[in-house]
Amino acid sequence: MPDPATGVTVTIDGVAVVVPPGTTILEAAKRAGVLVPHYCYHPSLPSPAVCRMCLVEVEKLPKLQPACVTTVADGQVVHVNSATAKQARQGVLEFLLINHPLDCPICDQAGECELQDYVFQEGRSGTRYAEYAKRYSPVEDFGPDILYVPNRCILCTRCVRFMSDVAQAPLLNVSERGDRAYIGIADQQRLDHPWAGNVVDLCPVGSLLSKDFLHKARAWDLDKTASVCPGCTQGCNISIDTRDEVVVRLRPRPNLDVNRHFICDHGRHDYRWLNRGDRLETPRVRRGAALEPEGWPAALDAAADLLRGATGRAVVLASGRASTEALGLARRLVDAHAVTAAIRVPLGDEAPLPAVPGLALRRERVPNLQGAELAGYRDAWDEGIAALDGAGVVLLLDVELTDAERRALGASGAPVLLLGTVDGPECHLATVALPVTNMAEEIGTYVNRDGRVQLYRAAKGAPGMAQPAWWVAGELLERLAPGVAGPATAADAFALVAQGVPALAGLSHGALGFTGRVVALEGAGATA
Amino acid sequence: MSHGGHAPAAGEPVAHEPVFTGEVRAKLEALFPKYPTRQACLLPALWLVQEARGWVSEPALAEVAEVLGLTPAYVKGVVTFYTMYHTHPVGRHFIQVCTTSPCGLCGADDVLQAILAHSGCGDLGATSPDGRFTVVEVECLGACGFATPVLVDDDFVEGVTPESVPALLSRYA
Amino acid sequence: MGFPHPSHPKETVVLSRHFGDPAARGFRGWVDRGGYEGLRKALTMSAEEIVAVVKESGLRGRGGAGFPTGLKWSFMPKPSGKPHFLVCNADESEPGTFKDREIIRWTPHQLIEGCAIGCLGIHAERCYIYIRGEFTEPWRILVQAVEEAYANGALGTDVFGSGRRIDVVVHRGAGAYICGEETALMNSIEGKRGNPRIKPPFPAQAGLFGMPTTINNVETLSAVPHILVRGAEWYKGLSLASPKSTGTKLFSVCGHVQRPGNYEVTMGTPMRDLIFDMCGGMRPGRTLKAVVPGGSSVPLMTADEVEDCALDYEGIAAKGSMLGSGGMIVMDDTADLVRVVWRFAKFYAHESCAQCTQCREGTAWTAKVLERILQGKGTAADLQLLQDLAEQMTGKTICVLSDSCAAPVVSAIRKFPAEFEAYLSGRREPVPA
Repeated sequence: MPDPATGVTVTIDGVAVVVPPGTTILEAAKRAGVLVPHYCYHPSLPSPAVCRMCLVEVEKLPKLQPACVTTVADGQVVHVNSATAKQARQGVLEFLLINHPLDCPICDQAGECELQDYVFQEGRSGTRYAEYAKRYSPVEDFGPDILYVPNRCILCTRCVRFMSDVAQAPLLNVSERGDRAYIGIADQQRLDHPWAGNVVDLCPVGSLLSKDFLHKARAWDLDKTASVCPGCTQGCNISIDTRDEVVVRLRPRPNLDVNRHFICDHGRHDYRWLNRGDRLETPRVRRGAALEPEGWPAALDAAADLLRGATGRAVVLASGRASTEALGLARRLVDAHAVTAAIRVPLGDEAPLPAVPGLALRRERVPNLQGAELAGYRDAWDEGIAALDGAGVVLLLDVELTDAERRALGASGAPVLLLGTVDGPECHLATVALPVTNMAEEIGTYVNRDGRVQLYRAAKGAPGMAQPAWWVAGELLERLAPGVAGPATAADAFALVAQGVPALAGLSHGALGFTGRVVALEGAGATA
Repeated sequence: MSHGGHAPAAGEPVAHEPVFTGEVRAKLEALFPKYPTRQACLLPALWLVQEARGWVSEPALAEVAEVLGLTPAYVKGVVTFYTMYHTHPVGRHFIQVCTTSPCGLCGADDVLQAILAHSGCGDLGATSPDGRFTVVEVECLGACGFATPVLVDDDFVEGVTPESVPALLSRYA
Repeated sequence: MGFPHPSHPKETVVLSRHFGDPAARGFRGWVDRGGYEGLRKALTMSAEEIVAVVKESGLRGRGGAGFPTGLKWSFMPKPSGKPHFLVCNADESEPGTFKDREIIRWTPHQLIEGCAIGCLGIHAERCYIYIRGEFTEPWRILVQAVEEAYANGALGTDVFGSGRRIDVVVHRGAGAYICGEETALMNSIEGKRGNPRIKPPFPAQAGLFGMPTTINNVETLSAVPHILVRGAEWYKGLSLASPKSTGTKLFSVCGHVQRPGNYEVTMGTPMRDLIFDMCGGMRPGRTLKAVVPGGSSVPLMTADEVEDCALDYEGIAAKGSMLGSGGMIVMDDTADLVRVVWRFAKFYAHESCAQCTQCREGTAWTAKVLERILQGKGTAADLQLLQDLAEQMTGKTICVLSDSCAAPVVSAIRKFPAEFEAYLSGRREPVPA
């Protein structure tokens, strides 16, 4: 028998596992590879054990036990899929369905609905409630983005607990009693909170819905890609959901060290720019007054000539959304010069999620401020713009400029190499304009405010002839320094960048997994 | 003690007069030392509101929330759980008739019908046209040996029969 | 004895001695009748000694669960600086039960004294008495009695000059049967919805406001002063049948008897003595059909089962039911048992707190099926369905409200099939919707 101080042995559906004391049966079952069906339980919420779906059979105990709150005892033998436990679950499902409308054909949750899933797996095949009317209430607009469909609600209360315990803003309640109960909100109030959108993810059924996503796509039509939120320096892990190469939804991806199971509404709703149609799609080279489309080889040659022939100060203005790989390699292109390298960091209000320490919507609304600083850029945009006056060469990496900033650029007279996503007015000022991918169209890394290097993946294809900015920079480096091979993959690009950044030494894409790795940030490079 | 709460005239905006002033405020503050948290004063505070106004309106609910450091949504969840708090105005006299099985065996349904008829209410939950009465059916009032028990406002009346209903109702103006 | 009846020779009046006597209500009147001697004695004893006496007496919870009281008090931890609380459950809402309100309205000081001794026994300095909102008259009487107790030194910072502190706060409920469940009651005091809590943790470890707490029923606490004064042996001696059931019990008898009311009898008294002697038996020309012995949450008993049943925990359990709260509902041959259990189901559906799926949906569904049967549209499949639902509603929820809904339904179907057959076959006139 293992020492109780180090572990508890429990057998679940025939599989023995050793878990720390205090582990619940439900969590221990995960280790044994057994899913205990449940609704109200959630690893990031307090457990009330109200849905009764997780009742399991424990040998030597007369009653079924709720697995989500019962801690394991050494030597316990648990049956999740015994006839008794299954019968109890079938009972819960039957009770949940008697007042549940047959909305699947019109319900957004279909295909990713936990009620559908368990009923299909274990529910009864017919109803015994046919002679009675189902409970009915009209849809409610909790606002700004949330709809509540009371008829579909299974009263798991995850939404109420999220708002009161995690967001610490009790804006939702359970109103009334018995089978008249529903989720309520105070009169004249709205569900207006920077983290409110999470209740839609938490809802196991289609009762809480996002108006933004309403009727937009069927769950089974979606492709889901692991990514990192580009909204701020927190670096929440997300899934980018696309349908036919269009981003339709961002959802949180679990990372217990960063964002647990949540993302803020700012990050959640700010995805439309990933679908912009006004993209720079072909390389362009200036011949006389006109910018003319070119193939990549000729365009890259023209860009390399531009850099080779440049003298004087190099000004690099970059987007905080650019990958560490792109930022690092682009910076190398002007190593021979005196450099002013700046990134723009728009600011907004901070919005913490009180119950998760270290988690907040951050003031700095860019995902890779830390990566940029490690690569030699500074959060000093105004200095960068000022440096345009008298610059010898300007390198723009996916930035959009204000009118005043464009005037400053035009006035500088320096040759401009633009790596951009958008076909905007900046392009007219470029000497060479090269189309690059946005973060949904490439593999790359962001470094969050705590030094966590996280990998994001390509969710959709690149428009036109656009290529990742790391590849463009790599091709130019190859032309500028023959004998140096440009990186063939994003991972190679990262390795190349890491060679020059002590904080990233020894790190590779392969080591990052799905939750990233933290590197030590030097004092000078750390964000406030 | 009558609990009549009057409904505002249709279309008339109702400005909320704070409840917790003067004597009512003093009663609320007398509660604070009896409980370790302000939240625990919620049920007694709601009783103070209902005593003063006859029912718990949304603005009154919001006032209770503010005074106790809770959110209106939270207070609403509590108010709607407990059946004795009225969330809309009721007649000047609120009549609760027990019809649970022990009283049902002893003629409570007949008593209920008699009260509905004599009060002028007609239907359960409806207020009589003259604004005098609202009648509801309630669960066991804990006086099963004295069927049929009826609560009129705070008066707990036992042994009501269909015959004694007219005399009972005439005591309430 | 039960107001307004005079005491019956077969009763053993201890707690109910002064029912009907308004002079017993006041502090002076209670003292004149021997009151507060128990508290004075308890002030000279240690907490452990008090608990030992109550344990020895065999007193069991009179609210319905029948848990040994002294044992429950001994679960409280040693004092550690955390405040301990005593809570008195005066939420009496179990259909058929009406004894606690009589104790409070006739002898409020008996209860206050019991609460004070309880506090001393569990190292608590504060007791909350949770009284249901509908008990308007008992509440007013209790509040006044508490004020009197403070004025006369029975409560306060220096109880009877002992230097000990005991506070009593009367907290009014607002219409929720489920708040009679001890953990829901604690939530209600804390200003929350009356939702029962999952256990563990148990109240003695983390109860009211997260502190060690003991919850006892009114009748239980009211017995304590008598036990302190007259001793555990005396209390144990008041038992006719099982030694596991001691003392007296107030039975609230209602329904089809000549003299409904509260009757205090020694544990083990034959049930037929209570119904046919003390309560005067059936109305003229009527015969006994069924009895609910302990509040609506227990299985029904047939007339045969009543015939040789002893009124104690073990005796009633031997007949397949439970003593519960002692709320006895007597039904004669005019009773429509289908209608009775339907109305019970409606009660439970109305009172469900809505947390657990089986209770929230099952109680309402049960009521609907029974209603269809009453309307003449029931089938044999409905009887099986009711029993299936009952099984799903038993032993699977946070509290036992759903079990309580299931028990009378199942017992009625199994023991009184003819009642249901009458509706299914059309022999009985359907009830209009």
